[in-house]
Amino acid sequence: MKKIDADALGETLLRRFAGRTSRRSLLSRLGIALVAAPAFPLLPVSRANAAKADRSPEAKTAFARTAQTTDDTQCNYWRYCAIDGALCTCCGGGVHSCPAGAEPSPVSWVGSCINPDDGKAYLIAYRDCCGKPMCSQCGCDNTDRETQIYTPQLNNDIIWCFGTSSMQYHCSTAVLVSAAQ
Amino acid sequence: MKLAETRLLASCAALALLAIASIGGPAVAQDVESETSDVLKLEPPRPEWAFVDGGFMVDGTAIFDTKTGKMKGMVNSSHLADFAFDPAGKYYYVSETIWSKGNRGTRQDMVTVYYTVDLKLQTEIFMPDRILVGERKQNFIVSDDGKWGFVYNLSPASSVNVIDFAKRKFVKTIELPGCAALIPNSAVGFSALCSDGSMATVTVAAAKPTIAHSAPFFSATEDPIFENFAYDKAKQETVMMSYTGLIYTAKMGATPTISAPWSIQTAAGYANAGQTKPLDVAWYPGGRQPMAVHRLSGKLYVLMHMGEYWSHKAPGTEIWVVDLASKKVAKRIVLHEPAGHIEVTQGKEPKIFLNDEHGNGVVLDAETGKEDHKIEGAGAGVIHVLSPA
Repeated sequence: MKKIDADALGETLLRRFAGRTSRRSLLSRLGIALVAAPAFPLLPVSRANAAKADRSPEAKTAFARTAQTTDDTQCNYWRYCAIDGALCTCCGGGVHSCPAGAEPSPVSWVGSCINPDDGKAYLIAYRDCCGKPMCSQCGCDNTDRETQIYTPQLNNDIIWCFGTSSMQYHCSTAVLVSAAQ
Repeated sequence: MKLAETRLLASCAALALLAIASIGGPAVAQDVESETSDVLKLEPPRPEWAFVDGGFMVDGTAIFDTKTGKMKGMVNSSHLADFAFDPAGKYYYVSETIWSKGNRGTRQDMVTVYYTVDLKLQTEIFMPDRILVGERKQNFIVSDDGKWGFVYNLSPASSVNVIDFAKRKFVKTIELPGCAALIPNSAVGFSALCSDGSMATVTVAAAKPTIAHSAPFFSATEDPIFENFAYDKAKQETVMMSYTGLIYTAKMGATPTISAPWSIQTAAGYANAGQTKPLDVAWYPGGRQPMAVHRLSGKLYVLMHMGEYWSHKAPGTEIWVVDLASKKVAKRIVLHEPAGHIEVTQGKEPKIFLNDEHGNGVVLDAETGKEDHKIEGAGAGVIHVLSPA
C-alpha cells in the first residue's frame, strides 16, 4: 500500500511550476518550506494497526465513489476531492482558468484525486484566483487527504494568494498536474 | 410624479423629521425627560463569557454571556483575524491584516490592542507578516505570563513573529520550517506540531533561538492531530486529538513529554477507528473546532459524527464527554443541529458553546446537556473562553 508522500507531491508541483514563472524570490521562499521538509522525512507510522487502514491516493473514499467527470460546476466533479472554496467554474472562470480580472496564485495546495473514468489517481493543484471579493457561487469543501497547517501543501484552508498583487481570495481552480506517482 | 420631484419631497420630509428630533417637537409631553446618547462599558472578561469570531470573511468577535444568552459587545477585528486574551484581563489582542485601499494597496500586519472595559483601540503593534487563514486558535498565542505574543506566519516559508507586550513592539521573527500549531511553553517560549510528526520546542530568549524536536509521535499525513486543541495553563498540559480519535496529552516544559495515545472510540466501548478498513463507517471527531477541555473537572468534550475517514471537517451530531482521568466516555449528548465548533467555559458551572456554519449559536449546560439558549447570528467562527489562571 502506498502512503501519501507530501514532500513528493510538493516537489512534483514545484518542478512543473518552476519553468513557467519568473517569481524567483517567491520560489526561493517556498523552497525553504519545501526543502526543509526532507529533513523531517515522513515517519514510519508506528501504530500497529496502520497496515489495516488505507489512506493512500488510490483508496476509494466516499468522495471517489460518487465523483463524476462531466460537470465541473458541481462539488463532486472528480478533480475537486480536496477543494475548499468557491468554484471558479461558477464565477466566470474555468476549471484551470481565473475569471476576468482575477490573478492566479503561483503556488497552491495539492490533492490526489481519482478519475472514475480510468480509476487512476492524479495530482491536482488547487490554485486560488485572487484580487477580487470572494465569489459566493458554488461553495465546496472536500477533504480527501486534507491535513493541518503543519503540512501546508495539503491544507485547504490557507489563503494561497502568495505572490499576487492582492491577497484577496476570489475563487479556486483545480489544475491537472500529472498522474500521481 | 417625476423622479426629481419625488426626491425633493423625500428630502423635505427627512429635514422635517430631523427638526422634530432636534427640538423635541410639539407632541412630546412636558413630563418626559429627553434622552441623550451615551456609550456603555463592560466588565473585564468573565469566565462565563464566550467570544465568537464572525467566521470566514466576516469581521468582528462577538461576546456572549453564556448564563443569559445575551450579547455583551463586540471586539473589532478584520476578517481572517486571530483573537487572544491578555491573561491579566486588561486587553483583548487581535492579530490581523489590512490593506491601505481596502482590498489592495499597502499591506499592514499588526496585533491590535483593545481595552477590555471600553473596547477602544489602544495601540497597534506592527509586524512583518502573518498567515491568512483564520479558524485557528494556535496561530496567535499569548505566553502564560502575558508578556509575549507569538504569531504564526506562512509567507509561504514558515516562521513565528515574537511580540513584546510590555514594550508593545515586534521583537523578531523565528524561522520554523515544517511546523505550525503553536502551544505556549512557559519554560522556554513556545512549542509547535511538525510535519514529521514531532513536537518542536523553541527557546525564544536565546540570542539565536534554538529549536529542539521530540521523537515523532503521530503521522501528519495519515492520522493528523487537529489544530484547535486545548492548552491547560494550570497543569502546563496540552490535550490533543487526531483524525481517528486518538487522544494525546503533552506535558509542556523544556523537553515536553507526550503520553501514549488512547482511542476515544475504545473509551466508549467501540473498536478503535484507527483500525477501520477503507469504506468502514465509524464515529469520528470532526468540525473546525472539534474539541474543548473543562480544566477543573478534567472533562474533554468532542464533536463526533458517523462517517468514513477523511470526514474530519464534518460537523458533530453528538458531543462525547470524556473523563480524561479514567479514559472513559462518561456521557453522549445528542445535538438537535450539527455543530462545527465547540468550546466550554471554565467556571464551576461550565457551559458548552456551539455554533454551526450558518453562525447560529447554542448554549448547553455542560453537566446535563440541556439546552439553555439559542443565539441566531452568533458568528460562524472559532469560539474562545477565558482560561483559568
